[in-house]
Amino acid sequence: MPEIKVTPLGAGQDVGRSCILVSIGGKNIMLDCGMHMGYNDDRRFPDFSYITQNGRLTEFLDCVIISHFHLDHCGALPYMSEMVGYDGPIYMTHPTKAICPILLEDFRKITVDKKGETNFFTSQMIKDCMKKVIPLNLHQTVQVDDELEIKAYYAGHVLGAAMVHIKVGSESVVYTGDYNMTPDRHLGAAWIDKCRPDILISESTYATTIRDSKRCRERDFLKKVHETIERGGKVLIPVFALGRAQELCILLETFWERMNLKAPIYFSTGLTEKANHYYKLFITWTNQKIRKTFVQRNMFEFKHIKAFDRSYADNPGPMVVFATPGMLHAGQSLQIFKKWAGNEKNMVIMPGYCVQGTIGHKILNGQRKLEMEGRATLDVKLQVEYMSFSAHADAKGIMQLIRMAEPRNMLLVHGEAAKMEFLKGKIEQEFNINCYMPANGETETVTTNPSVPVDISLNLLKREMALGGPLPDTKKPRTMHGTLIMKENSLRLVSPEQALKELGLNEHQLRFTCRVQLQDPHSDSDTLHRIYTHLKSVLKGYTIQHLPDSTVMVESIVIKLSSSAEDPNTKVLLLSWSYQDEDLGSFLSTLLKKGLPSGLC
Amino acid sequence: MGEMDAAEFDDVVDDWFIESLKTYKDLHVYQLEHPTRVIEWTSGKTVCVAGYRSAKNELLELLLPLKLLAEENKGLCAERDFKVVHGGFAEGPVHCLRHIPGTRCAVTNDGRSSGLQVWDLGGDDSDVIRRTASVAGRSASGRGSRIAAGLSSDPRVLHGAESSDVLLTDLTSGQSVYKLKSDAADPLSSLQFVSDSVFLACCCSGNIYTVDTRASDAPRPSPPPATGGGDGVLWCADASPSSAGGAGRVARLSSSGEAVLSDLRDLGGAVSRARLDVLIDHHNWDDVKVSWAPALDDCIAASGFSGTVQIYDTSAWAAEPAAARPLFEHRGHVVSSQRADSLPVLVTSHVWHPERPRTLLSAAADGSVHVWDWVDQSAAAC
Repeated sequence: MPEIKVTPLGAGQDVGRSCILVSIGGKNIMLDCGMHMGYNDDRRFPDFSYITQNGRLTEFLDCVIISHFHLDHCGALPYMSEMVGYDGPIYMTHPTKAICPILLEDFRKITVDKKGETNFFTSQMIKDCMKKVIPLNLHQTVQVDDELEIKAYYAGHVLGAAMVHIKVGSESVVYTGDYNMTPDRHLGAAWIDKCRPDILISESTYATTIRDSKRCRERDFLKKVHETIERGGKVLIPVFALGRAQELCILLETFWERMNLKAPIYFSTGLTEKANHYYKLFITWTNQKIRKTFVQRNMFEFKHIKAFDRSYADNPGPMVVFATPGMLHAGQSLQIFKKWAGNEKNMVIMPGYCVQGTIGHKILNGQRKLEMEGRATLDVKLQVEYMSFSAHADAKGIMQLIRMAEPRNMLLVHGEAAKMEFLKGKIEQEFNINCYMPANGETETVTTNPSVPVDISLNLLKREMALGGPLPDTKKPRTMHGTLIMKENSLRLVSPEQALKELGLNEHQLRFTCRVQLQDPHSDSDTLHRIYTHLKSVLKGYTIQHLPDSTVMVESIVIKLSSSAEDPNTKVLLLSWSYQDEDLGSFLSTLLKKGLPSGLC
Repeated sequence: MGEMDAAEFDDVVDDWFIESLKTYKDLHVYQLEHPTRVIEWTSGKTVCVAGYRSAKNELLELLLPLKLLAEENKGLCAERDFKVVHGGFAEGPVHCLRHIPGTRCAVTNDGRSSGLQVWDLGGDDSDVIRRTASVAGRSASGRGSRIAAGLSSDPRVLHGAESSDVLLTDLTSGQSVYKLKSDAADPLSSLQFVSDSVFLACCCSGNIYTVDTRASDAPRPSPPPATGGGDGVLWCADASPSSAGGAGRVARLSSSGEAVLSDLRDLGGAVSRARLDVLIDHHNWDDVKVSWAPALDDCIAASGFSGTVQIYDTSAWAAEPAAARPLFEHRGHVVSSQRADSLPVLVTSHVWHPERPRTLLSAAADGSVHVWDWVDQSAAAC
């Protein structure tokens, strides 16, 4: 049976990372290669022993596809390609390719340099890994090889995030990665056509939530900033160069204008340069507003937001500063943090996830005393606020996506089956499709029903139509006879005669003959007539003729009668039929062997 | 702002939004796939909602966002979403839903017949809400039943569509343990237990029956104190939980916007009254609701007349009805209405948080559900 196998790598209930294996049409594809951020040891890497017990992965995988730059989706990529070993193609969108190595290097620095860990990938490994990357454009079909093709779709969520459509022959799978169905302030909403994949694979993490509105998240952000400014405090917002930073800037600018606020807002120059550079490169990935503000114009046409100079951090009075890096692990944002941490009127707003080992991670876990370089302790007195702006689809969003793509089956990873029964039931009822939920490390096998397209010759089609009867209906398949010719990649259905002609073969006719002995006291012609009457009564609906040349014909089957010279009551019937009438012929011979019923006149 | 087109962010920074920074401590806005007219607490942290479309509907048990409930270190919690912890399917609309305290059991009515459906909300091992039984009603009126959960330790449910068919059914045995003796087929607006054995049957006519299930004689209804409103005025009511040292009070609200407070022991009399600041041409009296705040003295909430929920401080009310201004009005549903047409959206339900004094949940006909913790601007201490 044709089937597609899906295995989410990982173990037990852990939901910290994405790494999914798909086997389709003889091809093996790895979807994402994430690091589990909650572990400090080898458990953070996906367990590749499922693919092979030892040795490199190159011969076992046809390609690797990365959906977006978050570390729980790409964090283990250099480990997989350089430490375990994989030399095949790695596909990702252009923005992902540009941003991934930066995040990976940051991550590496924090883990190795700050936490002193070994068994981790090196800077060179990141570079070597990225050399294997083939970038994807949206909606462009890419042939990985003769049989496997992939296509990226816009997923929203973060810059460069993609959902990917994978096709081998007439079987296909769509993997969503992380996506959102409501447009963001700097990104659009995910979109896919009615591609009807055999399986739609998605995370179940947010499938059982109902998202709070963006407006309320923004309200909370502005409220906290405003309260801090009102009491004369300073707000530090550590950001990554791309993404939320630009959105939050525009939000603050709009708010400042509306409220006629005077406190300065600063955006560190390092951020601007990087942001401009990236957004210019990826102009098609972001929305109109960001494009106009950050890409087409220099963003300092803002009335209220100015370039930051490090000396400003010592200025008295309220202010807001956006600075990199986002996890407070180094650089300007950490410098500013050290200056401002001791004052409880101040605030730091963390807009995203922070990796273990960073100051960001520590303060988000409630740590109020930090050990800095040279054994100095820093008392954290300022207010710490964790705000999540990341765009995810929720229960409603997943239904919208299924409605858009019309998959034949749904598959959810990273969920506990017992906690997902309702969602499974809901999907199955609403769309009349199966919903699978494999556990980590388990393989789900989905049987597909691929349609095989075949060209049919016009002659054959006309002949079938001429046979009459109802027109073919997808619900009531009709059997037809023809010859299937498979040449290169084409399949053609033609009439047998045409096939023979094309192949330069002669048609052979097969004829069967059979002798049946009967005891009957009548004359030859009377017996023949009795046979005719008998057959007419049994085989109603068939054409039965009693011909003047003393034969009986049933359809095209010929029955001749003769009698034995020694015994005139022993009649011998000679039946003959061609291959096409084999069934009827066998039936007749069996019937006549039983003899004639006595009641016949 | 010079050349920058601010339109995209203006929808955020509108007047109501700006005002909300000062008027709400917390505000969460959600959009359900289908609107609900029920919000019922199933624990201190979870509520049940359910759809009311004519055919199949979902029942959902939602866990409130952790950020809202966090007491300490609220700033360190980023979680703002509802979590769907249990879900199930109902074959028809759900017009009334009650949780039986101390159990994982809920009872619903479809608003078009008197029977009840009994549900198991599910435990840790499964997230599916399953129907376990049905309870027959006595009425053939085609009106939906009101439901109240018993306050005693046995799981019991009080139900009925009219005063003549009120039944108290024991859920374990399925048997009815009490029938209200009344010949008047007065349509009910609500049923409510005020103690283990005493309940109120509040009628749309304004009559309230105080029923002691231990007494054998038929209770007589107390009509509402005379008001200015004419015939055809409809009423709804709510009894406050008995405050320490005082008898309970009942608040009645009429379709002409009159509010009357009475002492539970003297429902014919009025302790104080007011004319509420509401629009009075609404369409569905079933959705109008008045409720006492469980943790805020003298405050009531009223909704269903429009797209807002109003909070009134009744301590200022006098015996003579005067126009009352709400202490607070939640306009969130009106402001963020998802309706394509220009018709105003109506609030279908509201509930107070059982412990947090100013936290409420409200739902509207456009599918929105809001969770809000408002700030009392008038109180100096805030």
